[in-house]
Amino acid sequence: MQIRFWGTRGSLPVAPHASTFSDKIADALIAAQGRHFADKQEALAFAQDELEFAIGQGYGGATSCVEVDAGKGAFVVCDMGSGVREFGLDTLRRLAEGNRPKEWHFFMSHLHWDHIMGFPFFVPAFVDGAKVIVHAGHADCEEALRRQQEEISFPVPFDWLKADIEFRTLTPGTEYEIGELTVSLIEQEHSHASYGYRFRDAKGSSAVYSTDAEYKIDKMHEESSMVEFIAGADLVIADTMYSLADSVSMKEDWGHSSNIVAVDLCHEAGAKRLALFHHEPTYSDADIQRMHADTLRYEQLTRTGAKLDVLCSYDGLCVEI
Amino acid sequence: MGTVDQTNADAFAQHLIASIKMAPPKLVLDLAGIGVMTSRGLRALTLAERAAHTSDTRIVLARPSAAMREVLAISGYDMFFRVADSLEDAIGG
Repeated sequence: MQIRFWGTRGSLPVAPHASTFSDKIADALIAAQGRHFADKQEALAFAQDELEFAIGQGYGGATSCVEVDAGKGAFVVCDMGSGVREFGLDTLRRLAEGNRPKEWHFFMSHLHWDHIMGFPFFVPAFVDGAKVIVHAGHADCEEALRRQQEEISFPVPFDWLKADIEFRTLTPGTEYEIGELTVSLIEQEHSHASYGYRFRDAKGSSAVYSTDAEYKIDKMHEESSMVEFIAGADLVIADTMYSLADSVSMKEDWGHSSNIVAVDLCHEAGAKRLALFHHEPTYSDADIQRMHADTLRYEQLTRTGAKLDVLCSYDGLCVEI
Repeated sequence: MGTVDQTNADAFAQHLIASIKMAPPKLVLDLAGIGVMTSRGLRALTLAERAAHTSDTRIVLARPSAAMREVLAISGYDMFFRVADSLEDAIGG
């Protein structure tokens, strides 16, 4: 199973300023210390393998969109943030290579704008003969998507989309066989509710997508249900938008969680890997890199059993599980 | 050294809050015997801080281990609490 991250930011898409590139180039040139590169491949290898990630690359700026790819059958994706545009185009390219149906299954964490804003730009939805199935714990998912394409907000109405679009409401606690995967969901704390999903393939590999989930300070005893939901998962993608301090003070009730709560839940559940996700849009690449380093250190300090591998998601990351 | 985590954070919070209910002007929490706290332990500190606000009690963390200092910094909790290197400093400061 491959997990592809098409959008990893929360709340709002971000794009770098011109000065961001100049800064990175300047830092890279200093790090290169006058080294000569024979060709672009050598220079790329230096940028990708020797520079800090925040200098040689970057975490991206598209909002939440994560693909769960079993390698065959229908395409499966979590959320339709702005990253869904590139996902859609990439699936059309893969379709041209053959062997897959023109069928897309969306699994919606919730209906806030950063998780639905990309759908009007999802090109397969314009393709006659395409089948799009939107799964959600929310019964009002169709209403949310239609609303964002009303004339006051967008020039192309929802009804102009040519694909066969179907909405299915899922129930927490039930397992669904969808395409090549077995899927279950759990309700999470967020305004108008959110849902986390667990995907299991035929080999038993499992990935959890749990974003926009807050762990309230007066409901800590309820965290055991999330521990049970993510137990033994090969990969947990978790909302790590705020520091713990922010999440219990000025950003309390904003519906998000912290990196160290994510580590603790994964440690308790025996999960193998954690991907930090839903990055704060005001964070620079350096800020996110620092948060990743802090999380790695926290995992080391609090580890009592097996090591939890902590990744930091970025637009373009592909994880094989 | 002990750990405050999901197995004992509730008892930890209850003990702190019971002490705060006596409304002392200051509560010094000696961390010398604690290796590290997870998020459950830290959030228990927040619950204690909220109770302390009601009783006008000031909480001071004393003698944190090197690991505990790192956890306080990583979590941002070092901005919430005064941290003292010694009990004398915690009590007298």
